[in-house]
Amino acid sequence: MKKRLFTSVLSLVLCIGVVLSAVAQVKPDVLVKQRQAAMTLIGKYFGPLGAMAQDKAPFNGEMVNRNALFLEVLAKMPWDGFQDVTANEKSGALPTVFKDPARFKKASEDMQAAVANLVVVSKTGDIPALKVAIGGIGKTCGGCHDNFREKK
Amino acid sequence: MKRIIVAGIILLWVSAESAWAGGDAKRGEYLAVAANCVSCHTAEPGGAVPYAGGRSLKTPFGTFYGPNITRHDKQGIGRWSESGFFQAMRFGTRPDGDPYFPAFPYLSYTMVTDSDLTDLWAYLRTIPLDNTPSRKHDLGVLFDWRLPLKPWKWLFFTPGAFVADLKQTQQINRGAYLVRALGHCSECHTPRNLLGAPKQSRYMAGGKGPDGKKVPNLTPARLKKWSDKDLKEFMVTGLFPDGDVVGETMGIVIRNSTGKLLSIDLDAMIAYLRSLPRIENQ
Repeated sequence: MKKRLFTSVLSLVLCIGVVLSAVAQVKPDVLVKQRQAAMTLIGKYFGPLGAMAQDKAPFNGEMVNRNALFLEVLAKMPWDGFQDVTANEKSGALPTVFKDPARFKKASEDMQAAVANLVVVSKTGDIPALKVAIGGIGKTCGGCHDNFREKK
Repeated sequence: MKRIIVAGIILLWVSAESAWAGGDAKRGEYLAVAANCVSCHTAEPGGAVPYAGGRSLKTPFGTFYGPNITRHDKQGIGRWSESGFFQAMRFGTRPDGDPYFPAFPYLSYTMVTDSDLTDLWAYLRTIPLDNTPSRKHDLGVLFDWRLPLKPWKWLFFTPGAFVADLKQTQQINRGAYLVRALGHCSECHTPRNLLGAPKQSRYMAGGKGPDGKKVPNLTPARLKKWSDKDLKEFMVTGLFPDGDVVGETMGIVIRNSTGKLLSIDLDAMIAYLRSLPRIENQ
């Protein structure tokens, strides 16, 4: 009985160890590529909304609803890619990301809040309010980009 | 005889101040959009009173705050005359004769034509008054001393209205006027030397902006990568073709200025930018 317990605990610990080490070993350049991928998709789904909000494209309520839900999830994704190990990697991220993490975190939270707001407003179908909500997201994007990114 | 003299004096005085001898405020409103006065002269948080001052401009010399330019007599420019406005814009000189810090972009605004200045003044007179006091600039030691600006201006500033280049098309001249005089784009997009003056040899080639952030190169060296359509779209929406959003410092220019310009004016500005000498990034 004791032997069985011992073996299972040992295997469990080893498994956890393997899994943890696998996660810990994601290379910094991969982390950069992954967070850039999240940002690229955020751009993909925000772009059409931005155009609609500025009357540069015909308003499409269905697309707004769909993209808002995509953005809500996507908006949560890039941030775990900004670990300190990536500080020396080549990317658009400015050193301020790592020198001022509190401000960077606030900027990311502002963006997520603006996107969550869009999801709420999209349920009302109120078009002028939707345009305002979309504009609000654009401002949080621009605010962060200005301080924490140098577009390559 | 006395009555004629009195009537003449009253006529002169009235005409000096009233609209029917002055400019077109509606034209002036559009010019103010092109010159983007509101962005520097309005405080940063949303909902601030337009033109009541407050926006900060961080530079290597300290932080400047755009003053209140509403019609308020004490806190704004209510007591100014049109000639005072001309003196500020064309010559970079305050009503008391002291030079302005070039954070106020008179190196560009000097090129605004007389008739446009008249229209701008007419528009400024229509702005509702606000009594917010102008915030004092927060400058480094010695940099808040205006006297050195006199030799600075002698070295780096040539006052004078825009003169069309007859070798270029009308469209390019219009674009040049919008970019160089009103839009004052080069104030951010041309890098500066240690004394804070623009390096004309790298005109519009970007580099480090006034607040230290990187500013793009707008000469054909980089602009050739953009189609006219994408560039115009960007100047109206602030969106890149891949859905990316421009940084806020330019975002506010697009929202308050270029995004509100006439389509033909944007075409002219793009045509002018494409005619600039190609300067590669360093």
